[in-house]
Amino acid sequence: MASGDTALWLHNKLGSTDDLWSGKTICAQLTLEKLKNIHGCFHTLQPHVKVKLMLSFLHIPRRNVDMWKVDLEKILSMAINDTDQWVSMVGEILRPYPATGSLNLELEDNNNTFAEVLSDLRKLVKKTADVRMLPMECQFLNKTAMIATTGQQPQPIKHFALKRKPKSATLRAELLQKSTEVANNKKSN
Amino acid sequence: MVCHGEHTYLYSQIMLNILAQEPKGGSNIRRLCQELQKCANDKGLDVTPITLALSGAAAYPRACQALSSMLSRNALNPADITILYKMYNDSQYPPPPVDLIRVPSFLDLLIDALFKPHSHLNPEHKPKYIFLLSYAASVTEVYKKGVRKSINKDELKPTQQAMEKVQVLCAENKNSSELIGHVSTLFQCVKFPVIAIGVLKWVDDTVSDASYFKLNTDHTPHHLVLLDEITTNHLLLHQKALDLLTRLFESTFEDLDVLVRLELKKTVLDRMVHLFSRGCVMPVVNYIRKCQEKQDTDISLIRHFVSEVLDVIAPPYTAEFVNVFLPLIENDDITGTLRSEDGNDPVSEFICHCKANYIMT
Repeated sequence: MASGDTALWLHNKLGSTDDLWSGKTICAQLTLEKLKNIHGCFHTLQPHVKVKLMLSFLHIPRRNVDMWKVDLEKILSMAINDTDQWVSMVGEILRPYPATGSLNLELEDNNNTFAEVLSDLRKLVKKTADVRMLPMECQFLNKTAMIATTGQQPQPIKHFALKRKPKSATLRAELLQKSTEVANNKKSN
Repeated sequence: MVCHGEHTYLYSQIMLNILAQEPKGGSNIRRLCQELQKCANDKGLDVTPITLALSGAAAYPRACQALSSMLSRNALNPADITILYKMYNDSQYPPPPVDLIRVPSFLDLLIDALFKPHSHLNPEHKPKYIFLLSYAASVTEVYKKGVRKSINKDELKPTQQAMEKVQVLCAENKNSSELIGHVSTLFQCVKFPVIAIGVLKWVDDTVSDASYFKLNTDHTPHHLVLLDEITTNHLLLHQKALDLLTRLFESTFEDLDVLVRLELKKTVLDRMVHLFSRGCVMPVVNYIRKCQEKQDTDISLIRHFVSEVLDVIAPPYTAEFVNVFLPLIENDDITGTLRSEDGNDPVSEFICHCKANYIMT
């Protein structure tokens, strides 16, 4: 298959602008030969096809990523120099992916827009520090692990004083007593 | 907006992951990342590769692959669990970071497998599930400049042992009277948050069974008393418990006699009063206000709630609380029969106190 055919194939598969989550669909059909063809035709592709093609890398089984590392990196490096900002941004984010499986979080130095947005958001994040919206896993954690993750939690607001415990306290005491009796009876039998 | 396309999702998650590292306010952003991830999952979008690539899992490709295959399918399997178990329980090589398995959706799957009634977990593999869930809940690590300096596993054994005990009790699916001898064990063990979540799940599934309240003869079923104990110990589980209670309160219980149904709903309200007394104040009162405004709740039930609350509270009150609670108290249909002519009753006293001390908005 020549690079023109590969370009057409990519266009047919990823050309739709209605579905922007379709990168995964081409994974099963990607081959080393196709990747090599893409080197020749990458510059001719539409920006959204380039972006979707790169996002498909995330769904390729690790074994294949290891085998195709050099070719994937070559495509990413072409993308990084692309004039379209989305193409170069996604290329930059995925740059370490073929070699390490991780994403690039050091984007501030190479991208002014990213750095500006990030610095604005940082200020906002600091301002909302007292919101105390906890990560979801916190409810699972033992106290020590919880403090190690998010620090000491503030006590809830005291809306009133409690003059006596609700009826549930009596119920609890009765149940515990009954439980101890049953457990003792079982032992003595 | 974030889920508009895979590229917008990737960009947003990258940005948020950088922000989540901020020492001040970073944990709020971590939650935001998780909510977005959940939202994408709910829409059927496969974001697992992005989640894992961002989690630092790449250094542990085998663990990463095992986890990703389970998360993508949203189902556990013994082979992948065994891989993770071996890696975290290896005495020769250092285990992967605990954060890798501290993924809420993975923890939820483990809870379901262990605590959902009739989950049919293979006994041979069960200890591995318990180990992984206990590990995620109890182990702490110290990092300096991104390098792990120490791992503290002091609480792993006790968490594991308590979970084993409770899991057996839940799996046997004992009824109320069989449970009685084990109440103190359960009370002890639900002090561990992760076990409390499991028991909550089990209580939820047990009492949601259509026949549960039909067959139950206790005034307050023991499963509901367990719920009290969980809310006493864990502030973070208040919302989950309230969700369950509102669901029960709104159930029609068509098979039950009208009077039995009312009594049962009062029992559920008593649990809400308990929750209220343990600090879950505004969500509970707001809920009752909503019931009153919608006018679909028997007025005697709202009266029951109000009088139970008045029994336990004393000033000083916050203005926020008074604002929401006073309209219930001032409503003649609700509290008319609770007042006495001389004004020496809790309802009149509460109104008097509020009028003297608060400006209503």
